[in-house]
Amino acid sequence: MRPFTYTSSTDKEQAIQAFTASSHYLGGGTNLIDLMKEDVERPDQLIDINKLDYKNITTNEDGGLTLGAMLSNSETANNPEVRSKYPLLSMAILSAATAQIRNMATNGGNLLQRTRCPYFYETSMPCNKREAGSGCGAKNGMNALHAVFGYSDKCVAVNPSDMSVALSAIGATVEVQKPDGSSRRINFSDFHRLPGDQPEKETNLMPGELITAIHLSKPVFSDHYYYLKIRERSSYAFALISVAAGLQLEDGIITKAGLAMGGVAHKPWKLIKAEAFLNGKKPGESNFKEAAELAMKDAKPLEDNKYKIEMGKKAIVRALVQAYERKA
Amino acid sequence: MNTLLETGIGKAIDRVDGRLKVTGMAKYASEFSVENKLYGQGINSTIAKGEIISIDTTEAKNLNGVLKIITYKNAEKLKTFGDELGPNRPNTIAPVLQDNKVNYYGEYVGFVVAETFEIAQHAARLVKFEYRKDPNPAIHFDELRAKAYKPKESSDYSRGNMDQGLEEADTVVEETYSTPIEHHHPMELHAVIASWENGKVTAYSSQQMIDANVTAVANTFQIPKENVRIIAAFVGGGFGSKLNIERHVIMAIMASKMLGRPVQATVTRQQMFTNTGLRQFNEQKMRVGAKSDGTLTALSHDTLSFTSTTKEYQESCGFLSKMLYNVPNNSIKHRLVPMNLQTPFAMRAPGEATGSFALESAMDEMAYKLNMDPIEFRVKNDTQTDLSENKPFSSRLLVECLRIGAEKFGWENRKQEPRTNRKGNWLVGYGVSAASRKAPYQKTNSKVIIELVDGKPTATIQMDATDIGTGSYTIIAQTASEYLGISTDQISVEIGDSDFPKTPGSGGSWGAASYSNGARAACENAISQLKKKLSLSEDEEVKVADLLKRNDLAKYEATGTAEPSEEFKNHSVFSFGANFTEVWVDKDTGMYRIKRMVNVGSAGKILNPKTAYGQVIGGLTMGAGMVIAEQTKIEPNFGNFITRSFADYHVPVNLDMANIDVVFLPEDDKIANKMGVKGIGELGITSVAASIANAIFNATGKRMRDLPITPEKLINASIESDLKA
Repeated sequence: MRPFTYTSSTDKEQAIQAFTASSHYLGGGTNLIDLMKEDVERPDQLIDINKLDYKNITTNEDGGLTLGAMLSNSETANNPEVRSKYPLLSMAILSAATAQIRNMATNGGNLLQRTRCPYFYETSMPCNKREAGSGCGAKNGMNALHAVFGYSDKCVAVNPSDMSVALSAIGATVEVQKPDGSSRRINFSDFHRLPGDQPEKETNLMPGELITAIHLSKPVFSDHYYYLKIRERSSYAFALISVAAGLQLEDGIITKAGLAMGGVAHKPWKLIKAEAFLNGKKPGESNFKEAAELAMKDAKPLEDNKYKIEMGKKAIVRALVQAYERKA
Repeated sequence: MNTLLETGIGKAIDRVDGRLKVTGMAKYASEFSVENKLYGQGINSTIAKGEIISIDTTEAKNLNGVLKIITYKNAEKLKTFGDELGPNRPNTIAPVLQDNKVNYYGEYVGFVVAETFEIAQHAARLVKFEYRKDPNPAIHFDELRAKAYKPKESSDYSRGNMDQGLEEADTVVEETYSTPIEHHHPMELHAVIASWENGKVTAYSSQQMIDANVTAVANTFQIPKENVRIIAAFVGGGFGSKLNIERHVIMAIMASKMLGRPVQATVTRQQMFTNTGLRQFNEQKMRVGAKSDGTLTALSHDTLSFTSTTKEYQESCGFLSKMLYNVPNNSIKHRLVPMNLQTPFAMRAPGEATGSFALESAMDEMAYKLNMDPIEFRVKNDTQTDLSENKPFSSRLLVECLRIGAEKFGWENRKQEPRTNRKGNWLVGYGVSAASRKAPYQKTNSKVIIELVDGKPTATIQMDATDIGTGSYTIIAQTASEYLGISTDQISVEIGDSDFPKTPGSGGSWGAASYSNGARAACENAISQLKKKLSLSEDEEVKVADLLKRNDLAKYEATGTAEPSEEFKNHSVFSFGANFTEVWVDKDTGMYRIKRMVNVGSAGKILNPKTAYGQVIGGLTMGAGMVIAEQTKIEPNFGNFITRSFADYHVPVNLDMANIDVVFLPEDDKIANKMGVKGIGELGITSVAASIANAIFNATGKRMRDLPITPEKLINASIESDLKA
């Protein structure tokens, strides 16, 4: 690991002030420290923000919740309010990593996880995300774990977060503190970016901006939800494909569907067409299958990840069936 | 209850070193506090083949705390394996930093020594290598098939006539099975603290085979063997990767010699992929012929795999195929393709673990084709003679393992027709496989020191054995307890030091039999000598404390040596076993759960059921890992391993594993050795993969012949298609 300086902040102004172009905020560090050991991340300064007071869950006027950015993934997923109002989010978080990692990982940090693409991790191989202009090793290399949606010539990596997939299905806004002291809110679907020509830029956060909270609007999918994660072993593995599915039903009709996929794109992939298709339909396997076909229609697999098309369709159907049958 | 108060072998006592381990008092190689020590960090090549044309050490050298950067330019010239010293075994080393050639991606090209571990790590990245890259490294196996050759130490074998055997067959199975590169990954990283002082070497090193490793160091640096001391008091797993002196050990000794200070080198987890051995991938072609009544007429097993371009190594995948069944016509071949990859090396049950996947899958395929129960098919072809050696087995309870296992598992509930056992979205399947593993036993020396402390007898056993997590400390204590007639808490075991009497070390499943018989020999000698001094007859029963008292001795030392008998050499000595697995496959997602496993083993006298269970459960888990996800992939454009951490190289997690039931059959095999002890370390991993793959076939009707069996492969196999609702 390269040498770096370490500063611990007790208030946000101090943290923001200390920030420089080569700084990183340090939350749980479960991803950042690994990347520093691998020489992928090379900050000169770490600003520890674990002492900042963004560790609460508060209830908003519409009954929705605001999740503190510095709250751990474990505390979030196991919080009774979260479990009853947004069980889909809880389920997704608990499917990720291990108990130890979830204890360390923060909500804000989870949104900033970097891809697990092996070309990104191995500094002797090309990667535009790590070193702009060096090329994409995965595009013509090994890409079984890579994107089928929204990739570019520059990058075919996927976002590894489970939490973000659920947030995408549920809908959320991310509150950030700007360097000038004011704050702004970013719609969750605008928070992560597609790789385009700048794969090194994964989110729309500006330099020095600090995530302070995740706002969830009024509770959804608290009865019919499922997070399906297909992976190579039963825990502690990133998703090959994951699906967050939520349904609101009224008189046997779907009034709102929330669907998003993980493991398929550079950002959590919201299945907008499938969601729209399901609205007003009767729940059931034939409609779910049609939604899945619609969702995967635009997928463009790479050489090694063609299996993701079939797996994706099956995963969408299964997640919807599980969500529907959960309390039907 | 303090189980350590138990006397004798066969008891399921707790590990005698358990308390030391859980309290952190058991010291592993890198944990010894050695004054004034430095830290070394290996640098890895970033090309698969070529030459180093320049090295820029300026930036690294200027770093505060960096003492030395060793490359081929300033490294000491070493004696390595070859014409003079013989092949690369635990008693020789492979070259390191000896020339500017790069033979594979990740090969050591330098070694940085610094005041702290952190500085060494950082400096290692600052050394700049410029390479002349060979444009055509041998990294694409499919393009290299034509270069396959017969290894120098050939494992080819044949009896009868394969063609004739196939002609006589009513049914033939001809299929190819593949297994990927796997890595040992013991929990404890390879590590050494080496001190060179006045031509003498002391090394705290994580090793499996101390005496041979001492020879390797002595040979390499051309110093007398007595000037080398290796200490490996505790070893956190080896699985074969710590049999040899690996190159970080040599670099640390070399650096210590250059700098006059002790040097510690800890191999990183990433380097455990590139620098401490691996299990080679294998492509195994099986041909099996049988009569319609299930009588085997022919069996051939042809293996194609790789070795490195600098050294030959082969796993004898066909080993079991020549001795497990009663088949008159048999042929075993093994061919290697040299590739610009790290040289493969022995990993737990080398040959058997992978070979049994092919053999026992093919046997299952044949049983299905014959519409026979796979257990009956195996029983029909049982043999009490090892046809490959023309020797009787010292004992063989394979049929009993299969029968008793079947009953315990509830095999009668298995459906012969695949895809017919449904539970909702799950396809349920049962699988079985037969297992066997050679039970070797080697010459072992030990020393016992018996003392009276406050009138109570205590004993210390010494030998250069290692405990690689297997339970050596415990079984040695139990053996001494048995033969001295005192409880295990009165015995201390001192092992893992080359100052102690020589043993063959831990490997090849010979540790338990060798160590226990070695300890027995010393204890028996002590008792016998003490009786002789008193002119007592051998069979007179006198307590060891009384023997000392009556001899007016406060302390008595004796040595002993155990070695294989003539009878042992005239027999084939093996352990046998049977694996049963129930698997539930999700018809849509391709994910599956191993629900239950039953393993029945006949492995001679079980010294300690608790540590023996541990060995088998560990073996089953490692075998399950072969099926679930373990594989190291080679990047096609660069030739490096794309899986280089535990985030990518997936070993089983607790949730993957089943309820495991382990049964040991009582077996009294005094031909194996006086105590009737057989190896258990590798039997557990053998054939597990086949029993799981066979269960997946029984569940899905899809024959998966390429390990690991991932959700991706099951989706591609269309397990869900045509299923009746």
